[in-house]
Amino acid sequence: MLETALKEKKYRGEFIKPGRHYLEGSEACVEGALLAGLKVYAGYPITPASEIMEHASRRLPQFGGRFIQMEDEISAASTLVGASWAGAKAMTATSSPGFSLMQEVISFSIMTETPLVIVDVQRPGPGQGYITTSQEDVMQARYGHHGEGPLIALSPCSVQDMFELTIEAFNLSEKWRSPVLLMTEETVAHMREQLVVPELDTIEIVGRKKPQEMGITPENYLPYGHEIVPPMANFGEGYNINHVSLVHCEDGGVGNYSLKAHRENIERLHRKIEGNVNEIARVESHFLEDCEHVLICYGSVARTGLEAVKEVREVHGIKMGFIRLVTLWPFPEEKLRNLISTVKTVFVPEMNLGMMKHPITEALRDKCEQVVAMPEIAALHSPEKLVEQILEGTAC
Amino acid sequence: MLKHPMLEYIKEEGPSGMRFPHILCPGCGAGQVLNYTLHAVDDLIKEGGAKKENFVFISGVGCSSRLTSHYLKFDSGWTLHGRSLPFATGALLANPDLKIIIFTGDGDAAAIGGNHFIHAFRRNMDVTILCVNNGLYGMTGGQVAPTTLPFANTPTTPYGNIEDPFDLCKLAEAAGASYISRWITAQPMQIIKAVKKGIANKGASFIEVLSQCPVHEHETPVESMNALKEITVPVKKAEGSGKIPVGELHYRPRPSWTERYESVIEKANEALS
Repeated sequence: MLETALKEKKYRGEFIKPGRHYLEGSEACVEGALLAGLKVYAGYPITPASEIMEHASRRLPQFGGRFIQMEDEISAASTLVGASWAGAKAMTATSSPGFSLMQEVISFSIMTETPLVIVDVQRPGPGQGYITTSQEDVMQARYGHHGEGPLIALSPCSVQDMFELTIEAFNLSEKWRSPVLLMTEETVAHMREQLVVPELDTIEIVGRKKPQEMGITPENYLPYGHEIVPPMANFGEGYNINHVSLVHCEDGGVGNYSLKAHRENIERLHRKIEGNVNEIARVESHFLEDCEHVLICYGSVARTGLEAVKEVREVHGIKMGFIRLVTLWPFPEEKLRNLISTVKTVFVPEMNLGMMKHPITEALRDKCEQVVAMPEIAALHSPEKLVEQILEGTAC
Repeated sequence: MLKHPMLEYIKEEGPSGMRFPHILCPGCGAGQVLNYTLHAVDDLIKEGGAKKENFVFISGVGCSSRLTSHYLKFDSGWTLHGRSLPFATGALLANPDLKIIIFTGDGDAAAIGGNHFIHAFRRNMDVTILCVNNGLYGMTGGQVAPTTLPFANTPTTPYGNIEDPFDLCKLAEAAGASYISRWITAQPMQIIKAVKKGIANKGASFIEVLSQCPVHEHETPVESMNALKEITVPVKKAEGSGKIPVGELHYRPRPSWTERYESVIEKANEALS
């Protein structure tokens, strides 16, 4: 219905124009989402994520989409699932305490293979914690929900990323029928800097695979079958789809409830995401050709991290490489291993006490002499401090 | 063999195997509520006013929520405990033409889902809610619910229930539901009519059906249903009776959330002209 109306130009909303803009990360996120096809936004206010919600409330109805402020984060996330089942691309944004509340729905949407996008503008915890910046939810993103549930989590480091990775988040969620988390930080969401928008027709937009396009009739339709990423019928299309989060067979039936059925289900969910990690996950790297040490980071820490690496190379002559995890989950273990032959020290600066240090250490267990955590709580690392720590860590 | 007419809308089996027999206990009232609801939907489809593919059934978790699990030849979502209303809200935001029917229980709606319950009514979301109220948590073993009568002994109130119950219809009215009625499972024709009215109402319709749970009440289904007849009275004769009124309790149509949101879309677009 919305699609038809849009084609009829009933709505006057216009996408962000190609060219240079000076924008806040939160606004870039919403503008990217609109281009990706956002139709439903449901949220609950929380500092420092409310700007995304406010911008969505203003922009979405211009395109005939619908925005709602729900009664809590649980219902906000639940609303996305219902919207996605009815065919809409849907998103919410929250911050860490609200992200905790959404874990129930994240687990549910993994099992029901529902495409949706959740933005977590991380702030320090535990509890109400503080309202500055943080990367303390990166483990919660993967392991906060109950059950063996793989999902996709991205880590933007700039306003440009807030735009591009939001579009990528929608594309990945539709392609893999999976919830996708944009694990951003207060620093990035509130950052104002240049955004360069390309010609709009060069931006790739992905939609979910439909049974209709595959010649599958309602009688033969298996909502959790056919392919590793099952085609998804929307509500209202006559496919009589039964969405189920209990152990289910390919047809969504729970009658043949069995250990075997459950294991097959979980095995496919894992194969779908973890088995395609090299297609899904991205890393960026610099200065790896000659490196004796490497600094691995993600999010806004990649900004100061890259500055520090350049400085120790140029000023102090240390052969330091740089890797940025664009994707946190599924963890790009193989890509990381292929990038590095052997190094002496791996430095991992994070705005937590050393969380991604664990999968990094596991991935590079036989490729380095030591892994050094560089923790910072509730604030950005300064490049000076990183340089100092690198000099100390490479001195011996 | 003569088949039940409502089997037209039921998946007795799917490509991956049998779905029947269903999970409900013998004598359970939830099956009656499904039967009456399907009759109402069947009437609406055959009268030509509604398309079958636009009906969506959504439920949470619990005995009555199982009605939506995998038995229906309709689009459906069997969702999180207490959260059927936010899921329905999302579906309506994406497609306001959907006709959403929610099966919920008293624990699902009024305990874990209490917050969503009142807010969906406040917004007058266009849903028809059938709350199968058996006054206890059936699926988990008969524990006390927010609707259990005082002094009742249950597995979690071995010394008697010290709490007072919610009146779900009064709660729904105070929160803003635009159509409200209450029945017992022994009133099929009234419930079919109520469901049709609820679906026709563009807004939040709340239909409470007091139901028997013979297993946890340790009675025969007939004894349980007779007990429901004993404690209830038609709304016109309710005053001074000390009994629970049944019948249509409230009908005040007002624009639904999605209808009102049209003005938001209009204003957002006017500002751009």
